[in-house]
Amino acid sequence: MRATFPRDFTLGIIPILLIGALWQAIVAYGYAPPSLLPPPGQVFTRLAQQLVGLDYLAQAAATLLRLFVGFAIAVVLGIGIGLMAAVHRGVDAVVRPLVRVLAPVPKVALYPALLLLLGFDHASKIALVAADALFPILLSTYYGASTIEKKLVWSALAAGTPPRQVLYKVVLPAALPSILTGCRIGLVISCIVVFLAEMISSTDGLGYLLVRAARSFQTVDMFVPLISISLLGLVLNALFYCARRVLLRGFPEV
Amino acid sequence: MSAVAGEGGARRGFSIGPFTPLFACLGLLVVWQIGAMLLATDSIPTALEALRAVPDVLGSRDGLVNILDSIRRMAIGLSAAVVVSIPLGLVMGRLRAVAAFFNPILMVIYPVPKAALMPIIMLWLGVGDLSKTLVIFLAVTLPIIYHAFEGAKAVEEKMIWSGMAMGMSRVEILARIVLPAALPEILAGCRTGLVLALITMVTSEMIARKSGTGNILFNALDMGQYDTVFAMIIVIGALGIVLDAAFDRLRRLLVAWAETRQDIPLSFT
Repeated sequence: MRATFPRDFTLGIIPILLIGALWQAIVAYGYAPPSLLPPPGQVFTRLAQQLVGLDYLAQAAATLLRLFVGFAIAVVLGIGIGLMAAVHRGVDAVVRPLVRVLAPVPKVALYPALLLLLGFDHASKIALVAADALFPILLSTYYGASTIEKKLVWSALAAGTPPRQVLYKVVLPAALPSILTGCRIGLVISCIVVFLAEMISSTDGLGYLLVRAARSFQTVDMFVPLISISLLGLVLNALFYCARRVLLRGFPEV
Repeated sequence: MSAVAGEGGARRGFSIGPFTPLFACLGLLVVWQIGAMLLATDSIPTALEALRAVPDVLGSRDGLVNILDSIRRMAIGLSAAVVVSIPLGLVMGRLRAVAAFFNPILMVIYPVPKAALMPIIMLWLGVGDLSKTLVIFLAVTLPIIYHAFEGAKAVEEKMIWSGMAMGMSRVEILARIVLPAALPEILAGCRTGLVLALITMVTSEMIARKSGTGNILFNALDMGQYDTVFAMIIVIGALGIVLDAAFDRLRRLLVAWAETRQDIPLSFT
């Protein structure tokens, strides 16, 4: 396994370098004017400049605030509802058909309704992020909690754990791997959705910067927010992956 | 809370009655109706008012043309993605080197908001069908590749060996052993892709407003035709529910032999 690592790594880096080279070549040989496709060097220099600028960071902070508040709401609701539905038949009978109906609905279509309900400020964007991140978290909690080893529950009950405590002493930890997978999917979705919501209607945030640049045909400034949000997604995904490994120490490999 | 012990013991099936989703829809509409009546603002119509506006949207030539435009783009983008992604995913699942080649770049592309590429692609290809279809294609390819990859990786080696022993060529093995064996997983990916295609369709039209469902939605919002806004939300939502249910029916027919793990697609990756 370890011996093949450098080879795999080299193979994997090739397409990334190829795309970079192709991008540079298209610009360098004049197939595309810089106004349509700016050279990669220029884009990344601007990105580096912006990342140390206060103005750009303030916009990014607005995006991050919406992202994390929306995601946090989705985590609390998703894990709560998912666990309740998995252990309680009455809740299950209500939640399952609702989820079945609401999961395939494109949540972004609800955005105009959210705008009318909650206004054009933070609240509507946070609500959209929460709505989109909710379902992967809820579903993975539900499946995780309803497929745990029943012997675990029985043992806990036999050992005298009050039934009320079984939920968070046994079911929740046993379903944790599945829950965390759902949260990771939800986190990346949150990243994407917050950006799109800001593009559709906003006066600040990274998505707004992209739209503003597009209106004035500043191609370089269009690439910068897009790359920022993608990097943010990558970094959050990686951080969450590490957090998951720490949290799941001692679990069988999943 | 004794339910933990009682019902937790017997594992319930994951199937769901055909009428309960219908009741769920009715329940949602009732909640909406009551909520809107309590709020009593002009900008939030009641469920009945919105439902009454649905025939106006679907009946008018303009509305119908827009919706059909959207569906056409979605169908083309989704089909193109299926045709490209399934073979790629299957080959990646069987050949380590191919997987090592593509995996990192796919991982880098994964968190890019595809619909946000719309303004850039519009610069190159214009506001028309081509750019929107391309964005839908880009959004849908990743989950289908991923699921085909996972499905192909999990094919039992003995089946491959049997095929080799019978003198099948590599292409034959891929088409006649790996593809059918990975089909349940591939179809799960396609289902995620379908939902994602619909999301991207609406989003791309909201960003580049020229035609389509997202266009009607936001034009009506700008003009303050709130009945139309909510009617359109109902239409798009119904489209999602119906397409997903239809695909699920098809999937059950095709892979009736495989045990279904989940009745709702879990990953929207």
